[in-house]
Formats: sequence, C-alpha cells, structure tokens
Amino acid sequence: MSEEKNVLSRRAVIKGAAVGGAALAAGSSLSAGTADAATKVKGSTVKWTTRGGGATGDAIAKAVNDAFTKKTGAKVVAQQVNSDDFQNNFAQIMQGSPDDAFGWMAGYRSNHFGEMGLLADLTREIGHLKTNLPTAAIKGATSPVSKKPYILPTTYYPWGLHYRKSMVKDIGMNPEKIGNWDDFVKLMTLTQKKGLVGYSLGAKGGWEAMGSFDVINARVNGYKYHIDLLNGRAKWTDARTKESFKYMAQLIPFMNPNFMDISWDGMRDLLLQKKTGAMMMGSWFANDFKAKSQADYDDLWVVPFPEINPKFGVDTIDAPLDGISVAANGKNVSGGKALAEFWASPEGIAAAVKAGDTNIYVSKSFDTSAYDAFNKQKLAVLAAASNIMFFLDRDARGDFAGPIVGPAIQSFLQKPADVNKILENVQAQWDALPKQ
Amino acid sequence: MKTAATVQKKRSRRSLSTTDRVTLTTFIGIPSLLQIILLWIPAVVTIILSFTYWNGVRLKDIHWAGIQNYKNIFFNNPLFYQALKNNGIWLLFFVLIATPLGILLAYQIDRGIKGHAFFESIYYLPVVLSLAVIGIIWNFMLQPGGFVQGLMGRDIGNAISIWGNAKINTWVILGIASWRHIGYIMLLYLSGLKSVDPALKEAAAIDGATDWQIFRKIILPTMQPVNIIIVVITLIESLRAFDLVYIIYGSPTIFPLLNLLVFQNFAGQGISMKGAAYAVILLILCIVPIITYLRINFQEDLK
Amino acid sequence: MSTAVVQSAEYRNNQKRKDTLISIFIGIFAFVWIFPILWTVWTSLRPYNDIISYGIFSWPRHINFNNYVNAMKEMHIGVYLMNSLIVTVPSVILTLFFGSLVAFVVTRYQYKFNLGILLLFTAGNMLPIVLTYIPVFWMFIWVGELFGNRNMLYNNYGGLILVHVGFQVGFATFVLSSYMKTIPKEISESATIDGANVFRHYWNVILPLLRPALAALSVLMTTWIYNEFFWALVLMSDDSKRPITSALRRLQGQYVTDFNLLAAGAIIAASPTVIMFFVLRKQFIAGLTLGSTKG
Repeated sequence: MSEEKNVLSRRAVIKGAAVGGAALAAGSSLSAGTADAATKVKGSTVKWTTRGGGATGDAIAKAVNDAFTKKTGAKVVAQQVNSDDFQNNFAQIMQGSPDDAFGWMAGYRSNHFGEMGLLADLTREIGHLKTNLPTAAIKGATSPVSKKPYILPTTYYPWGLHYRKSMVKDIGMNPEKIGNWDDFVKLMTLTQKKGLVGYSLGAKGGWEAMGSFDVINARVNGYKYHIDLLNGRAKWTDARTKESFKYMAQLIPFMNPNFMDISWDGMRDLLLQKKTGAMMMGSWFANDFKAKSQADYDDLWVVPFPEINPKFGVDTIDAPLDGISVAANGKNVSGGKALAEFWASPEGIAAAVKAGDTNIYVSKSFDTSAYDAFNKQKLAVLAAASNIMFFLDRDARGDFAGPIVGPAIQSFLQKPADVNKILENVQAQWDALPKQ
Repeated sequence: MKTAATVQKKRSRRSLSTTDRVTLTTFIGIPSLLQIILLWIPAVVTIILSFTYWNGVRLKDIHWAGIQNYKNIFFNNPLFYQALKNNGIWLLFFVLIATPLGILLAYQIDRGIKGHAFFESIYYLPVVLSLAVIGIIWNFMLQPGGFVQGLMGRDIGNAISIWGNAKINTWVILGIASWRHIGYIMLLYLSGLKSVDPALKEAAAIDGATDWQIFRKIILPTMQPVNIIIVVITLIESLRAFDLVYIIYGSPTIFPLLNLLVFQNFAGQGISMKGAAYAVILLILCIVPIITYLRINFQEDLK
Repeated sequence: MSTAVVQSAEYRNNQKRKDTLISIFIGIFAFVWIFPILWTVWTSLRPYNDIISYGIFSWPRHINFNNYVNAMKEMHIGVYLMNSLIVTVPSVILTLFFGSLVAFVVTRYQYKFNLGILLLFTAGNMLPIVLTYIPVFWMFIWVGELFGNRNMLYNNYGGLILVHVGFQVGFATFVLSSYMKTIPKEISESATIDGANVFRHYWNVILPLLRPALAALSVLMTTWIYNEFFWALVLMSDDSKRPITSALRRLQGQYVTDFNLLAAGAIIAASPTVIMFFVLRKQFIAGLTLGSTKG
C-alpha cells in the first residue's frame, strides 16, 4: 500500500488555501464544466445525504442545495442521517439504493469502496475543479490503486490541542504559548488542581482516542513509523510502539474518570462549559461553539500537540480531508456528480460559509482573508506540520481500525498495566487478517 | 370407535378434491416458502460464508478460508471471551435473579392484594416500551448531568463513570434489562396462576402448610408448562440480547455481546466473514434451548 | 366443621395482615419502577432553558406542551409514526393470516409432514436474527435487480413487512395451532361431511372460532413489530421511510443536548403501545397465556 503518496503535502495545501481569490483566471473553465453538467441534470431530482451535524448541518445543506437548484434547475431532496449508523451500514447502503451524493471522507474509506465499484469515478469533475484545488488535495482524494478520485475534496481540519483562552489566563499562563510538553503538563496539572478535568477524553465511540494515539506515536516515533505501523510494516509489539503508549499512560491521570462513558460530544460539552483544561480533537466541533455564542467561539483556541521527541518536533498532524462522494448505484449518477461538483465549487463553498460553516476549505479560490482568528489559527496549526495524516481509521484498513485497534486503545486506557498483552494481541489480529 | 374414526379420517382425506388439494398446498406452501427463503436459506448461507474470506461486495473476491475465521476468533480476539462472559452473566442473572423476581411478584400480586390490577399495569409498563425508548429513558437517568448523577451532586465536570465502568456497567445494564424482563415474566406467570384453584391453596394453608410449601408443592407443579416456557424464553433472550446495548453504546467494544460482535464484523466498513463465524457460534449456543423447547412442546407429537 | 371455619377465619386474618404489608412494599417498589418514566414525562413538560439556567432539580417555572409541539414540527415525528403504521398493520395482518393457514392445515389434516412444518416454524422463531441479516440483504438487492428496481424490497416498506412476517409467523403458527387443538375435531368432521371444501372449512368454520386467539395475538404482535428496531435500521436507507423506533436513534444523536425535546419525542413514540396496553389489557394478557400454555 502506498499511503505516503496519498497524503497531502502540507506546503501545497497551505499555499493553496492561503492564496485568497486567486482563481479568477480559472473561472472560465470551471463554469464551462458546471454549465455542461447543468444542462444534463435540469429537471431531474438529486438525492443528498448529510451525515450528522444537527440543525447547522441541515442549514448548510439547504443553503448549498438551494443554490444548486437555482443554478441548474434540478431538484434536491436532502436527508440527515445518524453518522454512526451510516458508517456502520455503509457497504450495505452503497450496494442498495444510496442517495446520489453525500458528504464523505477521503483516504481508505473512499478509496476502498471506490475500488469495490460502489463510488463513482469523479475524474471528470475533479478535472473541472482542477484549477481551484491544490495538487496535494487532488492527490489526497485519489486512490493510489487505480489513480482515480472517488471523492471531491472540500474541507479539512486539524486535530489539535483545544482549550479556552480565558481558562488558561485564569491559571496564570499565556494562552498563546502552550508550546512544549512542560507547558502542556502544567496546564493539565493546574486545571486539575482547580477541581476541573486536566485532559478531557471521550472513548465511548472507540475512535475518539485514536486522535491522541496518532499524534503521540507520531511525536515519539515520527510520521513514517506511524504509517508503517498502521499498515503492518512495523510491529505493535515493537519497543517503539510501547514507548508511545507510555506517554499515553501519562495522560490518563489527568483525564475525566468517565472517559468511557462519553463520546466526542461529551468532550465538547466539557470544554463548552469550562470544565476542562485541554482536549485533543478535530476542530470541526467549533460550529457548535459558534452556535452557542460568539463569545464562546472567540474564547476557543487550538495549538499543535506539543513536541515529545526533538527529532520530530511537531512535524506531523492528523488533518482528515473531507469531501463529497457520489454513489455508483444512485438513481441519478450524473445529477449526483453535478451536485458534488457544485458543493466543491467556489459557489457552493460561498453558500455553505454564508449558512454558518466554520470549516476551512481546500479550494484555492476560497478567500481566506475573511477568516476569523480561530480559522487563521487552524491554518497556522496545519502549517506547523510537514506530514499530514488522515486519521487512524482512514489510514488503516476498515476491518483493522474499527474492530481491532479501537477496542485495544479502549482496553489500554482502562488497564494501562496490560499494555504488553494488549499490543501482542493487536499484532496477532493483524497477522490473522486476510491479504488485500 | 377408534377404527371408525380412522376410517372416517381416511375417507375424508381420500375424498379431497383437486381444488382442495391445491388450496391445502397453497395454505401451507406460501408461509413455508417465506420461512425457508427468509430464514433457513440465509442461515445456511451464513454458515457457509463463515468459512470464507470476503468483504461483502463483489462475488469474485470470495475465497476459501477453512476454519481461519473461527481460529482467529478463538485464539486472537479478547472481545469474544468478554462477550461470552457477558452473555453468560446475562443468562445467569436472568435465570437466577430476574426471572424468580418476576415469579415472586406474580405470586404476590395474584394473592389479590390491594391495588393488584394497578401494580400489574405498572410493573408491566416497561415491557410495552421499545428498547429505543428505554435506552433514551435510562441514558437520561444516568448520563453526566442526569438525574442519578445530580442526586450525587455531580455535574458533567466531575461525573462518575457508569456506562464505561467495567465494575458496574454489567449490573446497570442487567438492571435495565431486568426492568423489562421482570414485568414480562410477571405477566406470563400471572396469567398462568389465574388457573390455579384458590381453594387448593387455602386448604393447604389450613393444613398448616407454609407459603413456601404451598408455592413448591402446589403452584410450581401446576405451572409446569409455563415454567419451562419461561426458562426457555429467558435463555433465548439472554443469548440474543442486542438492542439495548446497541442503543446505549453504539459499538460493541465496551460491553461486548455476541450479537453485537456479529453486527460489527458482518456489516459496514469493518465487514469480514468473521461476523458470519460469530453468528454461527451464537447459533450453536442457541441450539440447546431451541431443541429443549421443541422437545417439550412437541413431546406428545414426537411419540 | 366449626374448627375448620375458625381456622379458616384465622388464616384469612393472617393473610390480610400479611397482604397489607406486601401491598405497601410492592407499592413503594412500584413507584421506583415507574419513576424513570415519570421523570421523562416531567422533563418533557419543562423547557430546556429552565433546566440550563436553574438545574434539573429546580422548581418548575414553566410547564407546557411546547416540547411536544416542537417535537412534532422539528423532528417530523408524524411522518415516522405514519411509517410505523404502514409497516406494522400489514405485517400483523399477514402474520396472523399465514399463521392461521398453517395452523389450520397441521391441526385439521393428518399429514406426515405436519410435525416437520411445526418444528420448522417454531424453531425459526427462535433463530438469532443477525444470522440472516447479510444474506437477506443480498437477496433483497438481487431480487430487486432481477426486476430492474433495487428499491423493490430494499429500502421499501414491502421488504420490511416481508421480513417481519417471516420472523413472526413462526410464533403465530405455534400459538394458533396450540389453540386450534382445543377446538373439537367433530366440528371439522361435520363440516367435511356437510361437503364444505377446504377453503370454506377454513374461512367459515375455523376462522370465526379463532377470533379470540387472533385478537389476543394481534395485540401482542403489534407491540413487537412496532417496537422492532434492528431490521428497519438495516433495511431502510432513507431516514424518511423509517418507523419511529429506528428513527428515534437518529434523533437521539441529533438532539442529544436538548434532552427535553428528545424526552417529548420518546414519550410520543412510546404512547401508541402504552395506550394500546391500557385499553386492551385483557387481550394482551390472553395473548401471553396462549403462547405459554399448551392447549
């Protein structure tokens, strides 16, 4: 497998995202593409699925889909589904009667199902958007096996250390300067002394804690080792892997004792209600801070997870790339493709942002000068890294990440002393997987 | 007399017209086909698939795995043993605690205590709720910021661990499952108890029999058929447990149950035929209670 | 004779005292039993903001049905309730119809395969559902493709109904055949001698006699199918086609913070079976007895 090829080189992305509104020249070729699609889909009905996101998710979908209808004359029927159920049944839904287009994730999750013939080949659409997309984003959305894109990249977000500036000030620290491991430990210790949670974690879903493991392993052993580990080229029983788990164990005393009870939304609430010092999470939840109040949103901050091994610094980050995929078995594949292309186009992005989307877009035409402080910081956090990972459950195969690594991390968090046994077991289960 | 009846029967069967035969065949044929197509063929397919490697999309990707899936489950997967343990505890708890409690409750309510009809309804109420609703209700009671945590003076910042706490979550879940099961058993038993002659009990009491003796010597034997059904229902329900835990956890990793492992490995992104192997293991465990049940119910017919 | 009367009176007195004690104990316990439901109802009547501002134990400042109104409007509960109705009613009717057909044949006609059929149906009722899940799914897709419409069974009410019938008909057959064994054979024999054909024998003679059993079973089946959660989750990909029980799961994720609204949604979802239970309690209990005692 060649995940390395599949990974965004950060320079390209950042450069792309930072060049605000530079795609004017590209405009003509783009509109030619969409206009072409528009004549085809006029009068047809396209079905769209939003994965979770609550009222904000619905509002964003409505805004973009309405704009699409206005432009093309195609009707869009949208629904929102429970994100977990959608993922749990994904293979079945895609084989059955899927909606034509839907928000999805790049990496193994789209490549694998694309190669299985369940997602439509979007080569033509990505060609239309080419001038707007950084090369790295296109590369990230392309399956390394067939070199075909099965997703149109739209947004991405950093997994970083999130905290509230006001709380950091309260304990006498400088919120702009949570840079090294000592600062991090100090932040956790001081917040814990105040009777709050030092490092909040939700591990109920089985995937949330993967974010912490990803970054710690990359900090301790470097990017290459981590990706090798997820793909069977390094051993889980290796002393280097164990070293990472030692660092992970150091965080456990600072965690909320009920980490197995809560999921990512429980983590978010802890930070929202000022009950925790720091948490490691993807920045996508910022939408909910904004929905609560502008003051809460302004108080939110993110920094890269601190350095552990000076050899690697903070050179690696989890920055999952999201986008739009089109179901190969949908009723209106051409309509789905047109809708997907619209979502990924400057017009679609403009509609989404207007409806309250705080995500950062990979599109080069997207004007970042209007970014608020938090979004600018997100870009800065991304810029600090030179290796970009997609997240454990997108960088590793599906029958390994969810059913095997997730439970292993959960048992480790509950019984860190059993680490050797747990890791031996993960390795044994990897060895028993059928070849792909 | 007997021979006359047999002759009569034979004659009536022989006298069936073609239309009648067609009608009878349709009567029995359509439902049987439905059963075979929707239950038995899929069951056999699953058994076969449990010996293959496959990701469930293209037929050409299937290849033979022998007993690898089973070996993998038995030797490499700690979740399997946790699930066995949890299903086992579930079963023991239901058989030894929840079911007897339901019977005791039925026995007491049956004595015609004040407000028995009212109590009957209250204890039965959870049974008519769907597990989705039950999950929401109890999540609401126990979640950080919920009623129970609130009583203990805990907010979300210092909430204690319940769902994820391996020391107590088994009992909490069994408690919720029993909340439903006890009412079910109570009503099953209660309806049977109505057929026990009250004069019999009273006579025994006058003869100096204690409550326990009355229950053991009079009630239990009279209720024999109900008892067996209840035990079998309890066994099957414990092995098939799924909905409640799926609603609460969404994934099988914190509180694994066999049924949840089937679901995780037999569908979605983690699909592999390990899931089929889990399903077959579950089937094998269910076979004993199923056969017991069939034997008891069709004892006479089998002779 | 007279001592027996005295003893009996003493026994009754004793019993009375004991029963009062038990009654109190069971009463207290009953309150604990029903408390979670009451608490959910109570929560559903309070606005979210009251709880956020004053805490869950605060004295209610507002009590109203706004959450219910909002649940119907925002959560589209009405649509999901309708879906439940569309799925449940035909499923129950078909299950009972097929069950009664099989029960009729195996109890009224002496065929060698009768016992085999009964065993097949009863055992089928106890199979773990997940054992069949993926093959049933493929079968639905495959049949759909054969007829040029993948949605013919998958993501279609019809397919869901079919699955419910397939899984419940075993129980209905078992119960109805037990019940039918209590109907004297002579009735059938006289019908046959009178020259009734098989269909009339079933329709005019047996079916009317089955009415109490069918009534009881239908109540029980309605509850089961209405509350069923698994199949709708996996066989319906369109959220707008899901019955309320499965839809609740999505709502649970979506409205996790506004618990008062979710509580109202849950109460609405629970009400059809609860109301049915209180109105048709006798049938309910009869249904359970039919299933548990052999005729």
